[in-house]
Amino acid sequence: MNDEFLKSLKNIEAPEPSGAARTRALDAAMAAFDAAQAEESEKNQKKNSESAQGGGTAARLRSITSRWKRNWTMDIRVPLGATVAALLVVPMGWYFLNQTALTPVELSMPSLPPITSADGAGEMEVANVQTRQAQEFPTAPAAIPAPVAESLGNVAMEQTAASPTFSSAPMPAGGFARTGLYETKAGDGDRFTAFDEGGVKLTANEPVSTFSIDVDTTSYAYMRRVLEMGQIPPADAIRVEELINYFSYDYPAPEAGGAPFLPTIAVHPSPWNAESRLVHIGIRAQDVDISEVPPANLVFLIDTSGSMDEPDRLPLLKRAFALLVNELSADDTVSIVTYAGAAGVVLEPTSGAEKRKILAALENLQPGGSTAGAQGIEAAYRLAQDAMIEGGTNRVLLATDGDFNVGISDPDGLERLIEGERRKGIFLSVLGFGMGNYNDATMQSLAQAGNGTAAYIDSFSEARKVLVEELGGTLLMVAKDVKVQVEFNPAAVSEYRLIGYETRALNREDFNNDAVDAGDVGAGHSVTAIYEIVPAGARGSVDPLRYGENAAAPALGEDDEFGFLKIRYKAPDSEVSQLIEAPIPVAGQYRAIADAPQDMRFATAVAAFGQKLRGSGHLAAMSWDDIRALALFARGEDASGRRSEFLRLVDIAASLD
Amino acid sequence: MNLPLSTPDLVSRAAGGDRAAFAALVNDHYDFLYRTAYKWCGNRADAEDVAQDVCVKLAGALKGFDGRSAFTSWLYRIVLNTVRDRQRQGARRARQADALSKVTAGEAAPDQESAVTENQMWAAVRRLPEKQRDAMLLVYAEDRSHAEAAGIMGVKEATVSWYVHEARKALRDMV
Repeated sequence: MNDEFLKSLKNIEAPEPSGAARTRALDAAMAAFDAAQAEESEKNQKKNSESAQGGGTAARLRSITSRWKRNWTMDIRVPLGATVAALLVVPMGWYFLNQTALTPVELSMPSLPPITSADGAGEMEVANVQTRQAQEFPTAPAAIPAPVAESLGNVAMEQTAASPTFSSAPMPAGGFARTGLYETKAGDGDRFTAFDEGGVKLTANEPVSTFSIDVDTTSYAYMRRVLEMGQIPPADAIRVEELINYFSYDYPAPEAGGAPFLPTIAVHPSPWNAESRLVHIGIRAQDVDISEVPPANLVFLIDTSGSMDEPDRLPLLKRAFALLVNELSADDTVSIVTYAGAAGVVLEPTSGAEKRKILAALENLQPGGSTAGAQGIEAAYRLAQDAMIEGGTNRVLLATDGDFNVGISDPDGLERLIEGERRKGIFLSVLGFGMGNYNDATMQSLAQAGNGTAAYIDSFSEARKVLVEELGGTLLMVAKDVKVQVEFNPAAVSEYRLIGYETRALNREDFNNDAVDAGDVGAGHSVTAIYEIVPAGARGSVDPLRYGENAAAPALGEDDEFGFLKIRYKAPDSEVSQLIEAPIPVAGQYRAIADAPQDMRFATAVAAFGQKLRGSGHLAAMSWDDIRALALFARGEDASGRRSEFLRLVDIAASLD
Repeated sequence: MNLPLSTPDLVSRAAGGDRAAFAALVNDHYDFLYRTAYKWCGNRADAEDVAQDVCVKLAGALKGFDGRSAFTSWLYRIVLNTVRDRQRQGARRARQADALSKVTAGEAAPDQESAVTENQMWAAVRRLPEKQRDAMLLVYAEDRSHAEAAGIMGVKEATVSWYVHEARKALRDMV
């Protein structure tokens, strides 16, 4: 035992701390700091006036939640913590009250109030946290294995008993999610492209509006997940058009053999602004029976990095792909390639008839191992090339929780590769899983480069929606590079605003430029865009010009048009676009929103919800209750139950605000 | 506002309730906390947990920092206490022992005695009684003088020397 030897202790090198852990720690610290400050000011307030408002409430809450107190991972005592716990419990109560068959059991919800997720990205560590709680705090409520339905039932009962009291407790003004007091953010490592809400445009200055279609629905699934965790999703995660397009609307479909889709146009008053109207532009693509879809050559490119080792990631992914495999026929082929973990080809192209072989290969996937850059994507494209089906669907399905180290580290290089393969006829779709590492921005851009959709799979029912119900749309593109351009008539419309599509805006000249890429529409997809317009003469956001040419707008006749709609699209195998045109007539507009078709009223409610969730100023006059009522009366038959689920999300959002 | 402030400034501002100062302070020291925790725990997951716990503790404890010792010495003390509390709960003993061999493999300097022996010794140091381990790691892994280690551990310098002596004796028997 010499000194030299002991000095080698200095050589202990800590590996780099992970960014997520760091963020989590800093967030937790800030939350604790805020709680300490709040405690301080509470103390001071108490000194000043014993009858401080809300004091009694806090005491009551504290007594109820005392058994959870010990759950704090920190040693410092935070009396306010009880209140905070209660605030977190309310949405949890909602969550459990709202458990139905629609939100299936494999949601890896923290089954205890996510108090320990003062560590921000709580989700990622839920399993660990629970174990730790169970071990460290024998008095804590027993940890419940999240995926067990029976246990969820028990918890639901427990929570039901407690939640009426909680919900009747007054919420602090401003709502908890925005007070900064224990602001637990869902998935802190999740990355979204930041964008601002589309602004109001004056028709006189800028009469033409151009955008690309967007049939992705990732935003809705992500929002649902975060709300169900009792948190307000970040504004950048809410793309209103994706919320609207999550639902299918029964617009008239075109006849077979004609144009691939048909626009449906309607104008009705806006529920949130008495001066304005909403112009709905609904597009419905031809529906194709799944048996008529040409054979598919699918390559699953699956992330098996260690981070996929969560119930809502690889296990859910396996079940999701199993659903898809069960839909395939003998003409289809499936290959499986993994990356980031044990990398390589897991399954050479195999006929859809050999379901057992495919499912076994899928089942054997294990997360973990090194994250050495495997040549995953190149292997995937090579297999797709090997099994190429002329005239069929050739598609790579990339499934990941956010690691895109598929073998090419440069993101632009990856996009270029995907674009190059797209030109060879191999498309790419992206399925996102999990939370905390989720990279929305990259998912979107890769899927767009690959002429595919991006979907966020948060549950088994979402997997069923994307991979079974909408399989035709996922596999069979009926039109690509679909662009919409609307020219507003300055004599009829003084101002307009496109709701959503901020990240899909195109330049006016892009519309006729076939080289500019845009969104694609699959079989059976419906797409809705909503403009809010202020008719000429109505009070808008700016004063009319005193010296303007037509300061006094003439009354609109029945023959007038609000504007003119143009849609450009390309047939899947063509590089030349075709044009669909339709006027937006003043005649035939609905005088009351109640007269508008049910689907359009529902889309309006979703649009209102998304904007309000984003904190849009335009929605200040419309309450959550108004949104709920609008959606409720437009729910219709709702065979899938998704519209009812939406109503519950409105309730959760209302309770969080 | 955006001028970088010295650590003592940040500490006093944060203790006074300045949110931005506290954020900057924690941000500046997170790596130090994590690296120290790593040396004591020997695995990344525990180190990250400890670092986070310390960050949270700081929010309430900062007011108690009296400035008589250096801020880093004070941080050491909190980290060491957190590690101790955590290990007394014993929740992750097994996992830690497991992880240790993996983490330290390949990091040994080649000119020392065989890497295996060195790894074994690190593991052995971490298995020492708490006080001895703290003293050993402060003196040898953190390169602190006996006096500094004494300040951090809140004991007399002679006591640190005693711990080191005892530890070396114990190690000789263990390795």
